[in-house]
Amino acid sequence: MSKNNIIEVNQISKHYERKIALSSLSFVVEKGEMVALIGPSGAGKTTLLNTLAAIIEPDSGEILIDGLDLRKITNQKTRARKIGIIRQQFDLVGQLAVIHNVLAGRLSEWGFVKSFISLLFPQDKQTAISALERVGLPDKTYERTSKLSGGEQQRVALARLLVQRPEIILADEPVASLDPARAEDILETLTRLAREEGQTVIASLHSVEYAKRYFTRLIALKNGEILFDLPVEKVTDELLKELYQLKELDQNALV
Amino acid sequence: MLSFDLHKRKLLTVFLLLIFIWSLLGIHWGPELFHTGGMATAGQVFAAMLQPDFSAEIVALGIESSWITLAYATAGMSLALILALLFGILGSGVLASGKRSRTFMKGTFRGILGFMRAIHELVWALFFVASFGLSPFAAVFALAIPYGGILGRIFADMLNDVPDEPIEALRASGASRLQCLLYGYLPAVKASMISYSMYRFECAVRSSAIMSFVGLGGLGYQIQLSLNDLNYHEVWSFMYFLIVLVVLIDGWSTMLRKRISI
Repeated sequence: MSKNNIIEVNQISKHYERKIALSSLSFVVEKGEMVALIGPSGAGKTTLLNTLAAIIEPDSGEILIDGLDLRKITNQKTRARKIGIIRQQFDLVGQLAVIHNVLAGRLSEWGFVKSFISLLFPQDKQTAISALERVGLPDKTYERTSKLSGGEQQRVALARLLVQRPEIILADEPVASLDPARAEDILETLTRLAREEGQTVIASLHSVEYAKRYFTRLIALKNGEILFDLPVEKVTDELLKELYQLKELDQNALV
Repeated sequence: MLSFDLHKRKLLTVFLLLIFIWSLLGIHWGPELFHTGGMATAGQVFAAMLQPDFSAEIVALGIESSWITLAYATAGMSLALILALLFGILGSGVLASGKRSRTFMKGTFRGILGFMRAIHELVWALFFVASFGLSPFAAVFALAIPYGGILGRIFADMLNDVPDEPIEALRASGASRLQCLLYGYLPAVKASMISYSMYRFECAVRSSAIMSFVGLGGLGYQIQLSLNDLNYHEVWSFMYFLIVLVVLIDGWSTMLRKRISI
């Protein structure tokens, strides 16, 4: 096992009732890689990310994070230092001021008393402010989070990840509810910051165009299986066509 | 299916209406149905409404009684809030780690809250007067227990209605259950908690006034004394004090709500 392998997925499967969500997936991700998960709706992208985040337990197979079995990292706080998650913008607590949503990334390190005091007198204020500066929101520190636009809220979520400093960032459709200009902006910021911090990113995306532009490796899922797993430059239009083809057409092609 | 249900509902309405009409047949309609002096008394009561007694003595007594009523209500509500926060948070199950302990906590603490509010404050007041005598503690506890039960139940429901996504995100960033409570649940429900507590405070003032009927001082006690004297002018003066109290609290709660919702 190479020391650079931060994620090793060995034959994980997951079934929901009669439906197969993931069927015996295996792949390895090296430290610092920028991986995009693509594929049609219902292909298993979210299930895979939730499995990696230990929100869902696979029916079989194992996941190694830094050589450690994910099932053995049961402590929420230890796990938070390894894995950070960003989703669509409903992830933040709208009623809190921006700074507290950012400092939530510190909760794994703070005890109860310190986190309580911080709500009245923000602790580690400088960390939060510099994180907000890096994501381009320097002047919104004390605003109520729900007053920010969708793109700004996603930046706050990025700032929280900066404060949390996990080794791996799992991004589940991070730009699904944003317009194209803001989506590109967020993806650009996410990948730039992750490169600066030496973090590994696995992001599920609807848009192949964004995946090709901001990521270095594409893993394509279809019906719970890996259709292809290639560096961006090797992904051809034929492969993409096959990936997004509807089932009916698929069968016709076989006949 | 839906149209069938609607159809059944209409049938039920017609059925209930028929029962109501039938019940009217059971009444012996006649002059003895109404209290003969009733209309005259009602006339006196409503005439007095326009001529309340605002002599210096009554006003002083009204202010003092209003103060007692308000003090009981405030002390009772403060205690109720503490009880409600404690049992409400425990009864919502958001602090439980597993599914089984969550069901257990919900069942236990919601049960306690149910017991607290099942008994009316007037009944609690009678119990406490019987055991403590006519002391302010009787009034404060009698208010705090059922109001704690009502508030706690509503708080628990509010906490259960908080959307999952932000909480899951907090969990993922390493927050413990208590930290999730501080950074997720409580900020999400703070405004509705305050607004509902203010409404309940208003109710507590009315309850506190009524409760003093059992002999504890306050506006209700004065209203009862004046009623026994058939002095409707005085009754109305105290009623106006009560109305002013309730209106003032309503104004305060509106102001608070405006400030929170910014």
